[in-house]
This record gives sequence, C-alpha cells and structure tokens, in this order.
Amino acid sequence: MFDSVEKVRQSLAEQAYICDAKIATVVFLANRLEKPVLVEGPAGVGKTELAKVVAAATGRNLIRLQCYEGLDEAKALYEWEYSKQLLYTQILKEKFTAVMAGATTIREAAEKVGREDSVFFSHHFIVPRPLLNAITSDTPTLLLVDEVDKSDPEFEAFLLEVLSDFQVTVPELGTIRATRRPLVFLTSNNAREMSDALKRRCLHLYIDYPNAELEQRILDTKVPEADKRLVEDLVAMMQRLRELDLKKVPSISETLDWARALLALNASELTEDLVNQTFSVILKYEGDVRKAQGELSKLLQRKTAEAEAQAPSRAAAPPAAAVKKGALH
Amino acid sequence: MQKKILEFTNILRKSGIRVSTAEAIDAFHSLDELSIDDREIFRDALRTTMVKRGEDVPAYDELFELFWSGFYDNLRQAFGQATAGLEAFGMDLEQLMQRLAELLRASGGELGDLSELARALLTADLNALEQLIREAAGQAGSGRIENFLQVGFYSRRTLDQMGLDGARDELRDLAARLEASGLSAAEAQALQRLIEGLLEAARRSVRAFTERELQKQNHDYMEKFRRETLLEKSFYHLTEDEIRRMREVVERLAQRIKNVLSIRRRRLKRGKLDLHTTLRRNMSHGGIPFELVFKQRKKDRPKLVILCDVSSSVANVSRFMLQFMYSLQEAFTKIRSFVFVAELGEVTDLFQGGDIGASIEKALDGGDVINVYTRSNFGYAFHTFWQNHLAAIDNKTTVLVLGDARNNYNDPRAWCLRDIHLKAKNLVWLNPENPSAWGFGDSVMDRYMPHCDLAEECRNLRQLSAIVDRLIL
Repeated sequence: MFDSVEKVRQSLAEQAYICDAKIATVVFLANRLEKPVLVEGPAGVGKTELAKVVAAATGRNLIRLQCYEGLDEAKALYEWEYSKQLLYTQILKEKFTAVMAGATTIREAAEKVGREDSVFFSHHFIVPRPLLNAITSDTPTLLLVDEVDKSDPEFEAFLLEVLSDFQVTVPELGTIRATRRPLVFLTSNNAREMSDALKRRCLHLYIDYPNAELEQRILDTKVPEADKRLVEDLVAMMQRLRELDLKKVPSISETLDWARALLALNASELTEDLVNQTFSVILKYEGDVRKAQGELSKLLQRKTAEAEAQAPSRAAAPPAAAVKKGALH
Repeated sequence: MQKKILEFTNILRKSGIRVSTAEAIDAFHSLDELSIDDREIFRDALRTTMVKRGEDVPAYDELFELFWSGFYDNLRQAFGQATAGLEAFGMDLEQLMQRLAELLRASGGELGDLSELARALLTADLNALEQLIREAAGQAGSGRIENFLQVGFYSRRTLDQMGLDGARDELRDLAARLEASGLSAAEAQALQRLIEGLLEAARRSVRAFTERELQKQNHDYMEKFRRETLLEKSFYHLTEDEIRRMREVVERLAQRIKNVLSIRRRRLKRGKLDLHTTLRRNMSHGGIPFELVFKQRKKDRPKLVILCDVSSSVANVSRFMLQFMYSLQEAFTKIRSFVFVAELGEVTDLFQGGDIGASIEKALDGGDVINVYTRSNFGYAFHTFWQNHLAAIDNKTTVLVLGDARNNYNDPRAWCLRDIHLKAKNLVWLNPENPSAWGFGDSVMDRYMPHCDLAEECRNLRQLSAIVDRLIL
C-alpha cells in the first residue's frame, strides 16, 4: 500500500494520472483511515477516472454503481429473484405434494410448507447488486458510486448505513458484514447539495479545472505524440476559455479530445482556421462558440504579435522559403 | 498542537463552515498518519477532513493562511530589526549577552533574576515571546475585537497584561546598573539602543497580533454577512454582482424543490395492487403473477398564469420570480406569462428558447409587446387581460400576480380581478411592499385583496422560496 503522499503521486502517475498534492493527500488518507471519499467538481475533470486509477494502482477490484434518479435498494443492494423462485415452485410441485402428504387440514399443510420456506430465501435466490458485491467480496475492492448527486435523497440516507458500518441487513438472511472494507469513492457533479450527514462520513475532495502547468503535464502524459508548441497553445487557449462566461465550460476531458482531434488533423500549431473547424470538439453550444471566436482571434493576434516581436528575423524567413518552394516547381 | 487545531476548528465554525466533532476527530487521525512538516499536505489534510463544501474552500484557504502562517514570522521580522541595530556598534547579540552575563555575575546577580518577559526580550527568545503575547492577548480578550478602531485599545490591554511597562523599567534599571559596574560607554550605548529597539518591536508585534485577530473576526463577519443576506436582502437594493450571484441561489432553491417533487411523484405511483390489470397482463404466464401492476393515483399539475409588473420599482422581484417559475417548468402543465406596466402583453413565446436568463431580461424590457416607460396602471392592465385573455384561465389554473399595487390614483377596476378570481383555481398576489403599507398612498392593495386567495409580502429570496414551496406542494 502507499506509505507516503509522494508515493501515491508516483503510483497514480504510473497509471497515467497526473495530479497535484491535494488529490494525492486525500487518496493517501482514504487508504489509511479507511474512509470513503466524496469527490466533487465540474464535469470532465477526472473524478471517475481517479477512482479507476486508484483501483488499478492498489490492485483492487473496481465495482461501479452508477446512480440515477429512481435508483433504489433493489437495484443497488440485492433483489430476490422472483421469477426463479416461481419457476422452482413450479418444478418442485410434486415435491411439495410429497411434503404435504399426510396433512389433513390446511393449517397443517401450511405449517409443513412453512418449515421449508427458508429454502426459497437463501443465497441461492438472491441477486447481489454492486453494494452487496462490494461488501461480500473476498478480494480487495474499490466501490465507485458514480454521480451520487443524481440519486434521490432516500437513497442517500440508505447509503449512509452502508458507508458508516460497511454492513447491510437482509431481513431473511440477517446482517452481512464486510470481510474486507472496500475503499469507497463517491463522485458528484453538484447537481444537488449532498446531505451533511453523508459529507460528515466522507473525506472531501474538490477537483477543479487544472492550472496551466498541470494541464500541460496531463497533456504530455496522455497525448505524448503531440507537438510541444501545440500543447502550449492549446493549454493557453483553454485557460482563457474557462475565464469566459460560457454555458458549458470545457474541462480537461475536452482538452484531451481536442488535442487528439488536432493530432488526427496533423496540426503542429494552432491557427484560426484550424480552431474554427474543431471548435465543436470543445464547445457544445452555439452561443459559446460565438463568444469564444471573439476571444480566439484576440489570442491568436497577440501570439503572432509576440512571435514577431521576439524573432523578427524568423518572421522574414517564410518568403524565402516560399521562393525556394516556388523554384522547385 | 491539539489545542491549536481545536482553536482553528472554532474559527472555521464561526465563519459559517460546519465542522462536526466527528470531523475534528478525523482531522486528528489524519495528522497521525501524515507528517505535518509539509505545510501543503497539512493544509490539504485538514481541508479534506473538515471542509466538505466546494464553496467553503476559498474561505478555508484564507483562514488557514491567517491562522497558521505566521505570527512567528512577524515576530522574527520585528526583532530582527531590533537586533540588527547592534551591528552598527560592531558586536552581535551573543557577544553582548556574554558580556552582560559576566558583568552580572561579577556584581552578584544573574539573568534569572529578571522577569520572564524581560528575559525573553533581552535574549530575543521568539518562542517564549509568542507564548507570552498569546497568553496576554487571551486574557485581554483580543478575540472579541470587532472593528478597526479597537485595535489600539486591545493592543494596549495586551501590553498591560504582559506587563511590558514593568519589563521596560527592569531593563532600563539593569542597563543603569551595568553601566555603573563597568560597562564601556560604547557597550552601554549599544545596550540602551538594543533595549529600546526590543521594546518597540514588542509593541509592534502586539499590535500586529491584534490586527490579525481583527482580520480573523472580520472574516467571520463578512462570510456570514455574504451568505445570509443574499437570502434576506430586499430585492429593492441589489447590485449587479448580487443579481448574478442571486441567480445561482435561485437555481439551487429551484433544484431543491424539484427534488422534493420527484419524491412526491414517485410516492404517488406506489398505489395499491391493481388486481384486474395484473391478472389480465399475466394471462400469458398461465395466470401466475410474474408482473405486478399497481394502481396509480393521478395528481394534476397546476397550470400557471403569471402576471408580472415590470415597472422599474419591482423589476427585480419579477426577475427572480420568473426565473424561479421557469426553472420549475416541469412542475406545471403549462406556464403562460404576461407582463404589464399599464399595457399588458403576453411574453410566453419568449421562453420557448433555451436560455432562461436572456428571455427574462427581454421580458422585463417589455418584450416588444408593451411600452415599459409609462406609469403603472393596474386597473387598465387587468381590464386588458379580462378582455383578451380571460379564456386562458380555467378551474385548474393558478394565477400569480406580482406587483406593488401602486396604481398612480387610476381606477383600480377591481371587478376585473374578481372575475379572474372566480374562474381560476387560485389567485395569489405577491407584493414586494410591507403589508403595513398596503392601501396607503396610491396603493390599492386593499381593493384587490378580497379577490385574492393569498396575498403575501415577497421582498426577499427566503419569502419567495417559501411561497413557491406552498404553491407547488
């Protein structure tokens, strides 16, 4: 396991997840204190990814529970396999008759059947869902409760019991306790404020958009084949875009998509045309695109101005090259 | 350390960050696991265990800086200056101290005879000094400081508590004694300089300490102020920035109501077992009930007609009210909205597009259907509605009127409102004015009130959300 915060950072980096000390500290503490982690932050900053790489780095089995409105215990914890039970009753009909043989009254018959009913409420007929799986698993696991803000408040309350004691109660079977405490990550996009009770039981991690330096390192790791200059331009552009009042602010996953898209187009530098063509990768609303276009031309103008100021000789070079090219033809 | 963390926890609580005891215990546990030498890690560890809301993070960071970093640095700086003066005389502190000790021993005394403070000052023992200042400030009650004017007062009290005047006399006395017992003139001068410098540094440090206390307290105050007031603040006085932040608050409130709604609707679905349908549907399974069907009770969602006064005096209320209602669109079957000042026009179409914010601004501007630069005339507006749009109202419609009922002494035509009321399921009037002002001056609220099922004051966000809650639930 991890023995220092720095170690966490290294092992996450080995899984191609670049993070700052803040994230590493929380992961380290979660491991040590065996507490669930509530990860909040805007969409696409790598909340779910974090859980995945932690699972990979610690060699845990990832069990994922995707939350949505209307998710209930039956889908999250366990369910009795109703149809299977029915099917078995049909198949075992004759056996029942045999069991009930000799009973003279209905009451007697019911008692006789009653003695056997635990057969139908045993592990054989239970369908374990992610939560029960995470608790009963023999191998170390990491339980990822994704987008917990999408679930209903009642489900959240139910989750509390699981998170504080790592045990669940199935009335017919009794209480099932975790043999190994799973590491739990909950992610939330802040669609709704989580209850204080839940927050109290968790360590809290807020992942924000990365700063320029971090974003650049992430790009270097994830898209190593991209040109260094391109990466710099990209990051500068993204940082600027995030300051605009956009409806959907592009996050790190969009940056990666964009870098890959530009790479596919064999770009080695950002140009206005290129950006205009590929804007749809990062901006998902027409209004946002329009707002960003103004910003873009400003940024590119500044860039060319800087480039010219820095290297007037280089600026003069292209015509010569053009002449050379012309001579070839 | 433990004490300091507890103190920090208290300060967090005072600034409105909720920290439970369990969380404080977690913080202690986390520090067992980590080395606290790394400041960043220390900060992150405390944050992750105690601060659970993204919005609180900036406040936490500020407080952390204020609390954990340095007063010690302040001290070092202040006393660094004081002892640096010695170099001008060609000697350093240690040298001088040795010399002093020698002389003292010769005259039959020692440094230990001095009071704790005087000794700490003379040897520039910063750790001891910090401890002394903290204790004195605690006794002087610096933590209760409220505004800038009190800095002088609490600094003075802290100094008194420390007994700086006493220490000053002691030190001067010592200097005089030493001079008499054979200190060279240059050394004596250096010593005097040093003593005065140290005293000044102590005074300055205490003042700095008091100012920090004030900053901490002020921070609490500002934070609380910011959070509470947005809900309580009257719509009449909002700055641009507040309007922007208010929009987020409205969104969050709307989201909360939506959550409640979704639960309620789901509960309605869990009706009784519908035997008929269950049997029929399971005929293909040989009559064995594989699929169960439940009776669903139906709950009709209200239709909503909103009449919004958009004259400048109540524009802000209209703004948030419209935002609220359209954020909750799914809670209603249909929303029709009208705006008026004197003329009345329908702006429902404006809200067909996606962006609620832009639509609202357009609607408040009259939406190209009415002239907003006239004087309010409720009577005329209601009459227009009665003539043209009365058909929009049926017995499932809730009519929501928003306005201050300041009619500029025009004919109120309350009978129009009466007819609207008769046709509608409910008529609710939201008035941004205090009820005690209703019916006074040119307010005709008293004439309209008999025709309202509910007339409420709606001056701030808290009242607005309470009313919306009641409307839907």
